[in-house]
Amino acid sequence: MSPARLFQGGLVVVAAALAVYPFFGTGYGVRALLQLFMWIALAGSWNLISGLTGYVSFGHVAFFGAGAYTAAILITNAGWSWPLACAAAGVAACGLALLIGYPCLRLKGPYFAIAMLGLNEVLRALVSYFEGLTGGGSGLSLPTLQASVPIYYVMGLCAAAVTALTYVIITSRFGLRLMTIREDEVAAEAMGIDTARHKLYAFLLSAVGPGIVGGLAARDQGYIEPISVFPLATTITMIVMVLFGGKGTVWGPVLGAVILFVSQEVVWARFPYVHQLLFGAIIVAVVLLMPRGVLGILQIKYRLPRTV
Amino acid sequence: MNVVITPAMIAQVVISGLLSGTLYAMVALGLALIFGVMRVINIAHGPMLMLGAYVTFFLYSAFGVNPYLTLPASMAVLFVLGMLLERTLVFRVVDAPELSSLLLTFGISIALVNLAQLAFTSDLRAVEFLTGSFVIGPVAVSKPRIVAFAFAAIITAAAFLFLRNTKLGKAIRATSQSRDVAMVCGINVGRIHLITFGFAAALAAAGGTLIAVIVAIQPEMGQIWTFKSFLVIVLGGAGNYPGALVGGMLLGLIEQLASLFLTTQLSEAVAYVLLVLVLLIRPTGILGGRST
Amino acid sequence: MTAALELDAVKKSFGGVTAVNGVSLRLEPGRIYGLIGPNGSGKTTLFNCITGVERRDAGRIFFQGERIDGLKPWQIAVKGVGRTFQVTRVFPELSALENLLVVTRGDRAAAERRGRELLAFVKLEQLAGEYAGNLSYGQQKLVEFVRVLMRDPSLVLLDEPAAGVNRTLLNDLLEAVRRLRDEGRTVLLVEHDMKVVMGLCEVVFVLDHGDKIAEGPPGIIQADERVIEAYFGR
Repeated sequence: MSPARLFQGGLVVVAAALAVYPFFGTGYGVRALLQLFMWIALAGSWNLISGLTGYVSFGHVAFFGAGAYTAAILITNAGWSWPLACAAAGVAACGLALLIGYPCLRLKGPYFAIAMLGLNEVLRALVSYFEGLTGGGSGLSLPTLQASVPIYYVMGLCAAAVTALTYVIITSRFGLRLMTIREDEVAAEAMGIDTARHKLYAFLLSAVGPGIVGGLAARDQGYIEPISVFPLATTITMIVMVLFGGKGTVWGPVLGAVILFVSQEVVWARFPYVHQLLFGAIIVAVVLLMPRGVLGILQIKYRLPRTV
Repeated sequence: MNVVITPAMIAQVVISGLLSGTLYAMVALGLALIFGVMRVINIAHGPMLMLGAYVTFFLYSAFGVNPYLTLPASMAVLFVLGMLLERTLVFRVVDAPELSSLLLTFGISIALVNLAQLAFTSDLRAVEFLTGSFVIGPVAVSKPRIVAFAFAAIITAAAFLFLRNTKLGKAIRATSQSRDVAMVCGINVGRIHLITFGFAAALAAAGGTLIAVIVAIQPEMGQIWTFKSFLVIVLGGAGNYPGALVGGMLLGLIEQLASLFLTTQLSEAVAYVLLVLVLLIRPTGILGGRST
Repeated sequence: MTAALELDAVKKSFGGVTAVNGVSLRLEPGRIYGLIGPNGSGKTTLFNCITGVERRDAGRIFFQGERIDGLKPWQIAVKGVGRTFQVTRVFPELSALENLLVVTRGDRAAAERRGRELLAFVKLEQLAGEYAGNLSYGQQKLVEFVRVLMRDPSLVLLDEPAAGVNRTLLNDLLEAVRRLRDEGRTVLLVEHDMKVVMGLCEVVFVLDHGDKIAEGPPGIIQADERVIEAYFGR
């Protein structure tokens, strides 16, 4: 059996195991895996814009938060069913990305990064201000619903969909064009690539996942407030996962999410500031010492394709 | 929203705007210098301001030092810390793609904020030193803001004089125009990077000391300043140091104007919408051009 | 006949320094032109203005009779202006073949075939799968050259195509440039190697301090006093 076949076989086995897990597993296990799926979807989404085009999004949690509020409001105020509300959350996040991305991504340089740095704060302020709709600082409670298992499956599908989308993009010429922006934007333009449009498309795609996942998380937790859905820490975690696993690859974000989520659950949950400090240190260390991440190093060493 | 605008309100807006604008200009000048000289956007600029504020707080609360007299201390501490960060970490990404320098300084920023959380806890701290307001006719301005303005104006003016007239200042400007030319002229570019980073950190620290008397001090107070400083640079035109002055004043005025009509929360959002609009309509900044 | 490229009093300055000072040129289709001049005479800046990488301060630029100044670089490239850079700008973490594929659309298999053909044309077919960043400088130069051809441009701007390319490959490269001309394309090249310029170009423009100081067939240019003065100082 070739290594590629072995890998595919392994994937099928893992997917099957995860699919039947809720029938045997513990409540805690389901919750933990649900969280892991969420992180895979978030990290994979960040990778689509930042890993491929090199444009750093410092505020990706904004789409998560926007999705969470969209879904929560539609569920509580308009009585939508949660799957529909979560789909709408993805659309809303995409709309927000269009609003921010169009002006900022036309420009080269750090404008986009900084605009994203501020976006989160602004959304948090807006949500607190429009109390009538969002409950302001006191938050928003969703009607009670025991739906952990369905949400587990949908969240798992999201993680799989983001990873599959990454695979499709990376193996396509559209994906190659995105990478040319990261490699040398001036040369890409001189080759006739409309870099602004490509960046915008990548950004829109990267916002959908966090929007949907934000909606699912809101439904799952049953209660949201500005601090819980717009934490800078979530963006940091996404970035660390991708950088650590290997940016610009298909499986890097997945690998990073698994390793860091498990270590977070096992060790670090008890030391929040140390944990964040460590993340800051990991970012510094990865940028300086292994800019390609774990998977990138393996790729270079064993001459593996990007899709591994 | 029915607000009647009186001349007194306009005077209040203009005065408050220019006062805080000067502070913005001083802090943003630091970010602009690092960007101009090293082509690095220092995401940790705001957290450096936060550290400056803590230096003042501890000198004030432990030894009862007049907070304004801690300016040299906070600036010196951050000057050294800035140089240390440059020499150990930042210099490694000066020639790397933008992604690397942004992520590196972002990592440093997270580390600084969380170190502060560990060391100082997230309790709100205050330096209660000057209270009350000066009232001139219909305009009232709190005393710490006026003092902050005065110090910021002096420090900013000194910084510009330094950049314009001293040999070191000229070397810094030359390096920001063209590193190659600077090198050919015998300027030690590595040393200029080091000093610029320290200098910029000191400007941030001065901002921290001055606002320590005005607002509550906590580890996360700094991040918004990175964003605001960048906004100032964008408004004034990137790559243009006097532009930081114009941008600072503009931001100060616009925020004050917005606060007439909106709550404090929303006037933060106004600054953001402003950034997006400027990038949409006039990406080269209000002054335009890239002359230094 | 419509000119392949026409520049009308194009100006560009940086800060207070004038890089291109009102240069006018006219390139007829299907010929090879040279652009020479001492370092800092504005050759690369002129290239950048034509391709939209820099925005000219004044003057007009026409490509096949159509005004292109003010267009974005990618729009100019799509219209059929291809260029290489003085210091090569391949995409280092894309393979040599992927470097060529990025600009193609539609049938991928056909695009890959065409890419391999072009790589074979510069004798790099063995390295199609190698990251461009791992190739030698000369090899990168060749990848960049054939990458330009993927778009089938009618005007090709080459910034020092011969620099860093070894002798055996150089002849192939020169032959390739002549073939571009024979296919009806127009070529404008910046080159320091006078042997290359004299052997290849039909008309040479000379820039000095941003001014066009001479224009004509290479033989005549070589004897022009102002050109000699510009190169060897006054």
